[in-house]
Amino acid sequence: MRRYGPAVLLALVGAAILRVSLFSELYLRYVQAGLRPYLVVSGAALVLLAVAVAVAGVARGAAVHEAEGHEGGDGDGGGDGHEGAGDHAGHSHSDTHSHGPAGPRVAWFLTLPALALLLFPPPALGSYSAEREAAQRAAQGVGTFPDLPSGNPVDLTLGEFGSRAVYDSGRSLKGRTVRLTGFVTRDGDGTWYVTRLLVSCCAADATTAKAEVRGVEAPPVDTWVTVTGTWHPEGELGSTEAWPPVVDVTSLRRVRQPDNPYEKR
Amino acid sequence: MENQRTVADGIRLGLRALVHAVLGGAALLAIATVASVLGPMLALDLYTPPVAAWWTVFTAITVQGVPFLLLGTLVSAAIGAFVPERVFQRVLPRRTALAVPVAGAAGVVLPGCECASVPVAGSLMRRGVAPAAALAFLLSAPAINPVVLVATSIAFPGQPEMVLGRLVASLATAVVMGWLWARFGREEWLRLPKRGGGQAPGGGPRAFVSGLQHDFLHAGGFLVLGAAAAATFDIVVPRSLLEVFTGSAWLSVLLLAVLAVVLCVCSEADAFVAASLSGFSPTARLAFMVIGPMVDLKLIALQTGTFGRDFAVRFSAATWVVAVTSSVLVGWWLL
Repeated sequence: MRRYGPAVLLALVGAAILRVSLFSELYLRYVQAGLRPYLVVSGAALVLLAVAVAVAGVARGAAVHEAEGHEGGDGDGGGDGHEGAGDHAGHSHSDTHSHGPAGPRVAWFLTLPALALLLFPPPALGSYSAEREAAQRAAQGVGTFPDLPSGNPVDLTLGEFGSRAVYDSGRSLKGRTVRLTGFVTRDGDGTWYVTRLLVSCCAADATTAKAEVRGVEAPPVDTWVTVTGTWHPEGELGSTEAWPPVVDVTSLRRVRQPDNPYEKR
Repeated sequence: MENQRTVADGIRLGLRALVHAVLGGAALLAIATVASVLGPMLALDLYTPPVAAWWTVFTAITVQGVPFLLLGTLVSAAIGAFVPERVFQRVLPRRTALAVPVAGAAGVVLPGCECASVPVAGSLMRRGVAPAAALAFLLSAPAINPVVLVATSIAFPGQPEMVLGRLVASLATAVVMGWLWARFGREEWLRLPKRGGGQAPGGGPRAFVSGLQHDFLHAGGFLVLGAAAAATFDIVVPRSLLEVFTGSAWLSVLLLAVLAVVLCVCSEADAFVAASLSGFSPTARLAFMVIGPMVDLKLIALQTGTFGRDFAVRFSAATWVVAVTSSVLVGWWLL
């Protein structure tokens, strides 16, 4: 284990990255879609590196066939004790390689996210994160927007619906039927929202976009729904009363959580 | 006689083994039963929404850091294995005072976020680049590379002064920190990155593989630590706290400066976060974007791993002060 520790760790991290990026769409719970090629390449590179390191270990192991006990690398990490890693090099073989076979101890922390991704990938952020986020809106001024595609209902992201509802001096939402998809969040006073988190890089930078729903009963919190309805103007453009935007809903459908649970900012 | 004794010994041994097996088995069975009944209950009880969100943010920061860390360690291992020292001696001015701004401006070429720059700066030092110059590069690379500047201009449409302000304030901070280090820095604070886990001596592919493996695992471990700290703050600090401070210009700058440290948003994304903090003054948002790529929990953890704790604490504290000052000055001048 000591000799193969680094190779095992590299393979574990590489496998975890490949599992969420190449073999499933799970990476979308954590990072934005554009990162996928980089994740696949890094995952593959890590697995290759693990093989290279393991082969080097076997080559060295064959030179000095020595029964080493099953020691070290039980994943306790142990702060920053990495500088000692090189000290163990001497006892395995000749002095020409000063390679610490155990690798840096702090590296064992990597098993935590790697095993989490491999065994039970954490869920996408939901209502808990949305509710503790102060309702934020994109910083922009009132202005005109490009025309909406024709036909009713028109599918909009919650981010775009919010921008148009609050800032569009051309009032492009007027008279249109819109279809919005998100999960359910509620206020203390009983109003409910269809909500989506916006992510630009990874889930740590998530912000909230939401629309208040009127006209239908609220499903349980965190249910994913698609609502169809019309914009209900409220307040002056760009004012605080205009936020969050309101939608008068005529039909509500429960849906599966989309592959990408977040909207791109 | 002897036979009898061996038989007696045998029986005694057998009995003892039996007792051990029964007791041990019973204990194991009891533990297994209790664990299998209570375990899922406990796990479900502990797996509350905040805990789930913690895991998600923690994994997200790690996953998104891995490609950049790998890029950084690739570059750093390649520098260590294939680029001879004299190249840097020829490219960089001999006088440190001049080498610092050149190295700072050279940060433009590394298109990554801050995870990539720490190992690269470490290998530059190992290759004989003056620490002050390598540190200027460390600070400027994640802040002023083209990817980050383009992201900033997308996040602040119609406000090119924000992009310019970010470029100027970040570069100024990096250069000032380089000069400060050249003037006041002490070698003993910096545990100069010798080969911690051992790069094979000499150069070539073998040194490349062992350097890459060691640097990635080492920095990766610290990335995980930093991600855990960032996720904890993300869950613990209520966002409504932000709105309390938006009234005062000074407090809002300081608050966003602290927030940049604890949130650890990647430098390629922090412009979008800054843009969404609409209640704050432009200067405060500039400070958020200048400090984020230079000082945050994840970076402090990475620097601790690469350069030692003595260095990371002093350097991060000084950088924070310089970055706040420079953002305020640039904000007052440009915004």
